Amino acid sequence: MPNQVKLKIDGEYVEAKAGESVLDAARAAGKFIPSLCHVKGLTPVGACRLCMVEVAGIPRPMPACTTTVQDGMVISTVSEKLTRYRQMIMQLLLSERNHVCAVCVSNGSCELQDMASKLGVTHSEFPYRYPRLPVDASHPRFVLDHNRCILCTRCVRVCAEVEGANTWNIMSRGVTSMLAADLNGNWGDSETCTMCGKCVEACPTGALAVKGKAVEEMTKNTDAVSRLATARGGTQQ
Amino acid sequence: MLDTLARPQTELEDQSFIDGVITEFGSKPGGLLSILERIQERNRHKYLSPEVLKFVSSRTGVPLSRVYSVATFYSFFNLEPQGKHTVCICRGTACHARGSRDLLNNAKLMLGLHNQEDGGADKLSLTTPDKEFTVRTVACFGQCALAPVVEVDRKIYGRVNEREMRKVIDRVDSRGKVP
Repeated sequence: MPNQVKLKIDGEYVEAKAGESVLDAARAAGKFIPSLCHVKGLTPVGACRLCMVEVAGIPRPMPACTTTVQDGMVISTVSEKLTRYRQMIMQLLLSERNHVCAVCVSNGSCELQDMASKLGVTHSEFPYRYPRLPVDASHPRFVLDHNRCILCTRCVRVCAEVEGANTWNIMSRGVTSMLAADLNGNWGDSETCTMCGKCVEACPTGALAVKGKAVEEMTKNTDAVSRLATARGGTQQ
Repeated sequence: MLDTLARPQTELEDQSFIDGVITEFGSKPGGLLSILERIQERNRHKYLSPEVLKFVSSRTGVPLSRVYSVATFYSFFNLEPQGKHTVCICRGTACHARGSRDLLNNAKLMLGLHNQEDGGADKLSLTTPDKEFTVRTVACFGQCALAPVVEVDRKIYGRVNEREMRKVIDRVDSRGKVP
């Protein structure tokens, strides 16, 4: 079949649809590839860099979510080098902002926390930056805590691609990047926000949460967002 | 006072200019950059006000958050009114090694500017309250052989020392001088 490609993942032959991402193909074959910014149905952006895999013939690791499968590709998802890279990325994510699990609404059901423990990250080799960041509690239903944001842009994409409100985007760049609603005004004053809450459900950490939740009370339903995105004919990747 | 009160929204004249620019660039990919560039170039204080960003967003159909994201990503775009004269000090490695930090501190001292917060190596843009001078930093002019480099009103001065920089700034400074 022309739109079926064969590739090798960790020594196993796998069939995949042409145009599919390496991440989807590998996960369909039962492989574990860590990721934080990926939500099935939303456009992959390769923001978190956790899904790096090795492709034979390419000297550098490639993000599995934005790499499309090709016939005859040979991929390894597990190696000492990849594990070290992933752990390092995890540590950088943790040291970038103020992730304090003990006082976080998402403690116990946080994708960042889960991923850190899954990857065996117990501490950070890098010094914490401790940036001074604001908390936006102006919205009647939700809270945005920049301290817990990992800039995965899930909220940005779900708002643009599923809800179509385009309330969120990332402002500035580099280490000063921050999530911003419209013209970086208060979220509660946003004219575009429809208060649908999809960004909150898509958020992997406690950065976006329902107002009034206490520590450990916030659980997210990212699968529902993913179902909505795919049902609306989201991107195939 | 009246001037600021009478201008809550984009002026009509500006609006027609912006509409013209949008019809020129609107359909091209990356047209937003050209649109914002032209608008900023025409502005008296060389900046993009929130009203202008909102107007561009409503006319182009590009979401406001995207327009803001683009305007904040590129250091070329100013979201604050800029001074009449611009002093741009290179903070690249070569210039830093040849003492551009002292030049920057001197320029700030001379023009009475303070850092609201010390952002470290990040880009900096400070404007005097009378909107005469803006001091900004840039990562590299590509003139490392001439380090340290200072640009005053789009003219590049190489191998600058403190005294020379003060002289150049004094020369363009029209404050307190009889025309």
